[in-house]
Amino acid sequence: MFGYIRPLRDELKVREYEHYKACYCGLCRALKEQGTPFSSFILSYDFTFLAMLLYDTQDAPSVRPVRCGANPLKRRRACLTFPALALCADYSIILTWWKLRDTVTDEGFFRSLRDRFLSILLKRAYNKAAARRPAYVGHVKSALKALSRLEQEESPSLDACADQFARLTAALAEDAPEHRRRPLEQLLYHVGRFIYIIDAADDLAEDHKARRRNVVAARYGLTGGALTDAARDALESTLLHSCRLAAAAYELLDPGHFAPVLQNILYLGMPHTCRAVLSGTWRSGKNRKNKEFEQDE
Amino acid sequence: MNDPYSVLGVSPTASDEEIKKAYRELVRKYHPDNYLDNPLSDLAQEKMKQINEAYDIIMRQRGGGGNGSSQSSGAYSGSGSSGASEYARVRAAINAGNIPLAEELLRMMTNRNAEWHFLMGSVMYRKGWLDEALTYFQTAARMEPANMEYQQAVNRFRQQHAYNPYNQSAATSGCCCDNLSTCDICSLLICADCLCDCI
Repeated sequence: MFGYIRPLRDELKVREYEHYKACYCGLCRALKEQGTPFSSFILSYDFTFLAMLLYDTQDAPSVRPVRCGANPLKRRRACLTFPALALCADYSIILTWWKLRDTVTDEGFFRSLRDRFLSILLKRAYNKAAARRPAYVGHVKSALKALSRLEQEESPSLDACADQFARLTAALAEDAPEHRRRPLEQLLYHVGRFIYIIDAADDLAEDHKARRRNVVAARYGLTGGALTDAARDALESTLLHSCRLAAAAYELLDPGHFAPVLQNILYLGMPHTCRAVLSGTWRSGKNRKNKEFEQDE
Repeated sequence: MNDPYSVLGVSPTASDEEIKKAYRELVRKYHPDNYLDNPLSDLAQEKMKQINEAYDIIMRQRGGGGNGSSQSSGAYSGSGSSGASEYARVRAAINAGNIPLAEELLRMMTNRNAEWHFLMGSVMYRKGWLDEALTYFQTAARMEPANMEYQQAVNRFRQQHAYNPYNQSAATSGCCCDNLSTCDICSLLICADCLCDCI
């Protein structure tokens, strides 16, 4: 959905990178199977991370060669839909749909035109996914309501707002087996907190231009649409601490097939994203990296 | 109990040195310092116990008398004991994992001294509200600069030596001679040379 949770590719072994790509392509297939043929446009790195995390056995998932719409000339290897992948596809559809609806209600008619169109495109897939996971839809609704209330109250607390979003991601662990649930909840809580705060920091300049409220600007009293040195240091320290707590929680889980990629994401990828966003180099590199990944074979 | 070798992640044919290395790496990973004030510290302690037991079993089997496992788990109870019974109740609630109760007790108090701020920081930290936790810890440390407990809580956010499998420089430390600088080696060689001359 946001694409902040990704591995540092240069540090992956070729084999690990292949596993990662297979899971990414597998999620794309699962989105089409679980939703509609259009719903794979919401494919994201974040939910690939979640799928790898929820895949808890050491055996490799079965893989098959597939043709990809984005690059039909090349065959790719994609994981067959395993239960965690189907779950992630559903969660991904539900969260994205609500995020789109959120923008549609918050923004004016013309500004929200794109999201309005996308949410119509996703509607049928959402209905299917929501029917399968009614409990999760309940969580999403109540958390988003609390979040918009906090935003209306103009709460200056970064943590209170991040907490609502982080609860949403922590709730993704609710179907996990008993012995994995507590570490997973804590891990996903901090990943959610990280995403929420880094997204707000990333949108700082854009929100300033559009005169939207931004929680990072409110917390550090920023008026110019840019981070001050003190705010950057404080954000880096609190975000890296979340990475550390997420990694500490991860180490309490039994390592599964994707362990090397997951470790890369938690120990290298997330801190790298954090530094890139805070130093302002993230956006310039972001699109280029994405294209590289999609065309690469 | 599980096979002690699989607990340490080594093969039964591994050398003593390899086992010690794997053991040291695991201790570093699950060290109580990495799980300070963490709601999952009980699970980390459990892991640590399994690892220590496995190491002791292997070393006993091999006749090495496994004396490497220094067990120092538990006892992270925040032993402030500064008298006030209200704070003792809050600490008890935090230790029992009842964070909402601890927070409620703290919010009802009107006398907000350094310890109050420190305990509120601990509550926030356990909830995952790290930004507010740091603010409370900093206030506590400012009100009582001499208190080491408060200072350590602030320093936790600056700590760079937490476990990281990619950070090999930290992993290799622990050897007895790794704090020798080039300068030290030179001066040792000079000393040795002098001694040779004497003879």
